[in-house]
Formats: sequence, C-alpha cells, structure tokens
Amino acid sequence: MSITVRDLVHVYHPGTPLETKALNGVEFEAEKGKWVAVVGHTGSGKSTLAQHLNGLLLPSSGSVSIDGITIGPGEKSLRAVRQKVGLVFQYPEQQLFEETVFQEVAFGPKNWGFTPEEIKNEVEKSLAQVGIGPELFGANPFRLSGGQKRRVAIASVLSSRPDYLVLDEPTAGLDSSGKKQLLSLLVDLKSLGKGIVHVTHDMDLALGLADMVFVLDDGKSLLWGPPELILWELLERDIRGLVIPPLVRFAGRLRDLGFEVPLTWDPIRLAEAISGSRRK
Amino acid sequence: MKFLNNMTLGQYVPVDSQIHSLDPRSKIIATIVCLTGVFLVREPYGFLSWGLFFVLIVSVSRLPGSLIISSSRPVWILIAFTSVIHLFFTKGVPVFSWGILEITREGLDMAVRMGLRLLMLVLFAGFLTLTTSPTELADGLESLFSPLKRFGFPAHELAMMMTIALRFIPTLLNETERIMKAQIARGADLDRGGPLRRLRAFIPVLVPLFVIVFQRADDLATAMEARNYTGGEGRTRMYPLRWSVTDSGVLMLTLLFAIAVSLLEKRLMP
Repeated sequence: MSITVRDLVHVYHPGTPLETKALNGVEFEAEKGKWVAVVGHTGSGKSTLAQHLNGLLLPSSGSVSIDGITIGPGEKSLRAVRQKVGLVFQYPEQQLFEETVFQEVAFGPKNWGFTPEEIKNEVEKSLAQVGIGPELFGANPFRLSGGQKRRVAIASVLSSRPDYLVLDEPTAGLDSSGKKQLLSLLVDLKSLGKGIVHVTHDMDLALGLADMVFVLDDGKSLLWGPPELILWELLERDIRGLVIPPLVRFAGRLRDLGFEVPLTWDPIRLAEAISGSRRK
Repeated sequence: MKFLNNMTLGQYVPVDSQIHSLDPRSKIIATIVCLTGVFLVREPYGFLSWGLFFVLIVSVSRLPGSLIISSSRPVWILIAFTSVIHLFFTKGVPVFSWGILEITREGLDMAVRMGLRLLMLVLFAGFLTLTTSPTELADGLESLFSPLKRFGFPAHELAMMMTIALRFIPTLLNETERIMKAQIARGADLDRGGPLRRLRAFIPVLVPLFVIVFQRADDLATAMEARNYTGGEGRTRMYPLRWSVTDSGVLMLTLLFAIAVSLLEKRLMP
C-alpha cells in the first residue's frame, strides 16, 4: 500500500506564452507508517508535486496512483483518492470559514458522507489529537490564537480519516513551541500507521524526522534516500536551496580534523561521541 | 475541476513590439477612436475594414492570434446572448416563424450587426490591456485626466486605486484558487447541482477570501503609510511618460482611418 508516482510531468498553462514545465519526469514513493520529507529550492515543484498526490492537479503525462487507484480525470477515482490523502496547505488556517470549531472540523466528514455518529466521533478524536479541548468546540475559529487556528485546520483534515497526510510547510509561521507540538503530533500520527509526506525547506526537520528524503531540483528528482545518504551528498556537493544544518557542518569539520565522530544532526549523539572519543 | 489559472480576459502579455512600446496615452486615445469608429459603421464594408485594421495591429503587436481569440472567449456567451435577443425581438418583415417565435429580416440584420459590434468592442478594448501594463494604463489615465484636477477631480487617487485594484486581480485569483483547492481537498463539491446549491457550496471559498482581502487591504494601507504616501501632491515619477513622434503618427493614422471608413461607407452604399 503506497503512493506511487511514475515519470510525472506537469505543464502549467500549456499552449500560452506563460507555459512552464513545473515537474519533469518525477519518480516518488510514500508508504503508510513512513515519513517522507520533500525538500528543494523555491520553485523546484514541491507544491506542484504535493497537489498531484490527491488529484488536485492531474498529470500532463506520467502516472500517480494511491493504493492501486490510478488518478485520472474521472470523478469517482478523484473522490476516493482525496479522502485517502489529506492535504494540508501552507497556512491552512486561512481556509477556516465555519461558525464554530466543531462545525469547521465536521466539514470534511460531512462532505464524504459519514454518518452523524461517525462525524461526532471523528471530530472529537481529531480535535483531541491536535490538543484542542472540548471547551473550545463551540468557539468561533476566527477568535482563536494563531497556533490554535493552525491546529483546528489540521484537525479538519484529520477528521476525514485519511491514510496519508501531505503537509506543505506545516510549521511556517509557528513559534518554536507551536512547531514542536505540531511535529510531535505528526510523529504520533505516523506511529498510528499514517503515511506522512512533509514538504519543507528546513533540512534540520527533514533529516531529523524523516525515514526517507526526496530532493527536487528544477522539477526533476535529484536525490532519493534515507537521511544519512542525503547528508553525505550534501557535504559532497552544493545543492541549490538546501542548507547544511550547522551541527552537521560541525561534525563534518571535526571529522576533517581527525576526530572519530559520526556525521549526525543529533546534538546528543554527537556530544556523546565527542566525550567518548576524548576518554579513549 | 477546472481552476482559474487560465488566461484571463485582456491580461497583459509583455512582448517586445512597437505597439507595446507606444505611450499609453496614445494607445488609450486610439482605442477610444477605434471604439467610436466601430459604433459608427453599419455596413459589411465598414465591419470588414475594421476587421482588417484589427488583424493589422495584432500582427504588428506580435501577439499570437490564438491568444487573442482565447482571451476573448469569456464574453462569447454574452455576445451570442445579445445576438439571440435581437434576433427574436426585433419587429419587421418575417422570414421564418415557428410557433410564437418569429425571425424577421430586421432582426437578422440587428443580430449580426450587434454581435459584430460587441465582438469588436471586446477585441479592441482587450487589445489595449493585452499590450499595455496596468501601471502604464493607470499612469496614462492619470495624465489624461490631470487637466480636470483644477476642478477637484481626484485624477491621481483614481489612477492609484485602479493600479492597486488591477495589481490585486492576479493575487486574488491565486488566493481563490488556493482556497478552492484546500476546500476540495476536504471534500467540498464546488461544481455540482443547481445554481442555488453551487452558490451555497461556494460559501467555504467566499468567507476565507473576504477575510484575506480585508487583511491584505489593511497590510497594504499600513505599508503605504509607512513609506509616507500622502496622495498625489508633490509626487514625482520614476519613468515620466514620453510622447514621441511615433505616438502622434499612430494616433493621426487611426483617426484618419476611422474618419475615412465612416465617410466611405456612406459613399459606397447608396
């Protein structure tokens, strides 16, 4: 069971002077219970790829399939796929429109035709997952704080019971505690068996949390592999738009200077390695 | 689901051509001349001449013909509708009747004429905005209206509002598209059912859009104030408009053409 993208090409505004090839032969995969980070420079096609994963954009050529359902122009496959793959846009709090938090989160399940009990269950479960207590269920979503709005918006996607969650820069504009909360929510969701596709340009996050990292460059697949492998590549060559996390640079420099430390983004592991190598 | 990222009517397409580099004022006046000219002609010769004139200026502008056609597509329905109304509701000598519907010779005549006239209006007006950037257009209008400032006419303020409004159209289209996609991803069904259902289905798009629009307007006002914008008084230009000989020439030729077509048409037709 997975999201499989094969030789995906997407052209915006075909046949006009504004024609641009946003994706060019992209190969990509995401599995349930796994966290995939999609990284790349601004304009590399990350968001375009994300919107293909639940059929908001249709391939100009190539194919996208979710758990065996190939996305095509037919309404039926699209609806099935859109419920399986929840998409959280950048600044999702801007989509809020209902009068209460409860209704906002119930919007998705209602659209998918859940029964009233199912709706109630899903709404309460999703809001609990994002840490919004019952005292806020009746509140006006526009009066919540920024972080709360974001969490309500994410709950409103979770309540449709998706198997996969595609998030486009979900931590943008959050303070550090909001960021931490959100990321730990995603870790929990992953352990519940949901597939996470995390579009970001924050290498620290991508390396630290993902099982696999996918690097896009100018609409083409550039790298695909576990974080360790991506790290080595990053040190070897400059990749447009990607910054080596300071700690990795630090570890890399230590290694150059002859210290036996692992190349890591984890401060604790590095500290332990350093103290260990001194004691020797 | 079709989104809004198609070319919109008369969206500026920057191309390096002689028409694009004309002074916006000459283009605005010439367009007014053309529009008036189109309304003065009544006979096939007149329409044909204006049609050829349009083909000529399009070829000078180096814009692809397909683009012109596709950008006028949104108004085809309106034109067809107007023609049909004229076709059935003009009284005169009947040529065809079916039940209560009756087509008259005069109706046929009016339908074709109004259809062509509207089409040409849209094409000429669209051509102006296709070849002139919104900022240039606003600058041109401000300069054309500036003599009225003496009578308290807010030429600068109107031009500024127009620039901002035009500047925000693509931004708002993008925002609308983004919100639409976000709601569709949550299972919203935006394009099914009757008009009333569709209207209701659009509430999830309209509410967030309004919130964003007000926020943007507020941000923009603050940003302008922070940079000491106080209106047109004492404001200078980065690129002052420059009227060249070519502009005078183009305007003269258009004017002569319009007069010639209107006069000759009367002469050719008894």
